Amino acid sequence: MSDARVIETHQLTKRFGQFAAVEALDLNVRAQQITGFLGRNGAGKSTTIKMLLGMTHPTSGTGSLLGKAIDDPKENREARRNVAYVGEDKQLYPYFTVEELIRFTRSFYADWRPEVAQRLLGDYELPPKRKVRALSKGMRTKLALLLALSRKPELLILDEPSEGLDPVAIEELLQRLVGAASEGTTIFFSSHQIAEVERIADRVCIIDHGMLVEDFSLDELQQDYRRVTLGFATSAPVDEFRMPGIRRVHRADRQLSVLVRGNADAVAAHGRSMNAVSVDVVPISLREVFLESVRSES
Amino acid sequence: MLWYKAWRESRVRFLASAVALVVICASFVFFHHDASGGISDEPLSYPVYVWRITYKGYLRELFMILAILLGLGGLTRERDQRTAGFTLALPVSRWRLLATRTVVGLGQVVLLATLPAIVTPLLSPLIGQAYPSSQAWAFTILWATVGSLIFAMALLASVLFSGEFTAPVVAILGLAAYSFLADVRPFERYLTDIHDVMSGVDMPYFAERTGILTGPLPRATLFTVLLAAAALIAVGARITSRQDF
Repeated sequence: MSDARVIETHQLTKRFGQFAAVEALDLNVRAQQITGFLGRNGAGKSTTIKMLLGMTHPTSGTGSLLGKAIDDPKENREARRNVAYVGEDKQLYPYFTVEELIRFTRSFYADWRPEVAQRLLGDYELPPKRKVRALSKGMRTKLALLLALSRKPELLILDEPSEGLDPVAIEELLQRLVGAASEGTTIFFSSHQIAEVERIADRVCIIDHGMLVEDFSLDELQQDYRRVTLGFATSAPVDEFRMPGIRRVHRADRQLSVLVRGNADAVAAHGRSMNAVSVDVVPISLREVFLESVRSES
Repeated sequence: MLWYKAWRESRVRFLASAVALVVICASFVFFHHDASGGISDEPLSYPVYVWRITYKGYLRELFMILAILLGLGGLTRERDQRTAGFTLALPVSRWRLLATRTVVGLGQVVLLATLPAIVTPLLSPLIGQAYPSSQAWAFTILWATVGSLIFAMALLASVLFSGEFTAPVVAILGLAAYSFLADVRPFERYLTDIHDVMSGVDMPYFAERTGILTGPLPRATLFTVLLAAAALIAVGARITSRQDF
């Protein structure tokens, strides 16, 4: 795998009036990996993607897509030649038929693979002569995916790609994404379906309230992330854990629950020094990290 | 393929407009006797009748509304229909998207302006009348030029305002406001009434008594109108380049 970055942002910010949809985002997406972009609804995922693709102008900060500046229209246009994109809406021109839309899209890209388009047309059971306006939501999603997957771009950006698909189609999609990645395409996809991300992603970025709150590989998740649960004979001490690697601390009656990255042994030792009667150190799932990351501080 | 997209987006509007213009134009010819009595108590010569009912009358108003309809659409409308993301992800500049739509739309406006010049001289002999083609084509030039300005107003309105009806209503109100100001004393010296440019009313190149264009067309006025249209389109392009979608 390459260490080159296909997406880089530095302090990228987008404000709509007083509301900050994206706030000082420092995002790095490595080449030839599958990166899941996790966040709750309204966390800023789509706004970030729109800024990357030049649809929305950043309020401040900088960013690059395939090495081209995102806020320079000409450079961004050059980058888009090598990017396939499936938007969150999956709305396509209603007046075109399926085959007209395929012909239309094909005309803009040199990396179009007609044999793949033909195969996907059959696999997805899309009627070529039918108008897009007459397609169901699921079929529209499949058509949007066909238009992206029929190419061999450097980067594939998908915004909630599985929305509107049935479980079988989701499974097929995930397999196709893994297949595309194995052919060298970098995949960056937003989702709030943690199971999907966990299935295929090499790396995960979690965004909340427009800010990047976590960025790790799934290998790092398994190796470094732990929940340390400390039990006390009396009320848990109101000790502020100021140690490296601590992400979240929850205090409940006689128990302290600490989410920690890479420093679990030291945290456990600190707990024992605080006279904890029980110390449990357990691995943590992506779901737990996500929920801890986006849960409001109480 | 952007041309094809622009055509497909406006095809229904354009074809419906063309059919409406042709049918109404043909009706004016075939119902000449009946309609003539409704326009004036005095007998009218055929050129005066055609001018009053077509180039000064209902058809001109209809043409102006159709030019507004053809100016609608674009990225703001696509944002409402949620297809803007797909369009903007294409490796195409916003300027090119707008330019394609503008060229196709202006072409349609010009084609609509030519329809009376084709239909009226062609059908008039069927009722034993004649309308000079040279007159009809001269009016086509006037209509196409002013139609371009109206189209540009609608295009700018559709860049600025989303919503199904907001942009056309704003364009119609803008047109009405301009026409009103062009007739009000402090402004009439500076503003040319585009209705009059189209019909020739009170213009030195037109004789109302005979319904015939007599002098050379007002090149300076037409050039100014085209310049204003280009300016409105340029403003639309500038705004489009800065919009968030």
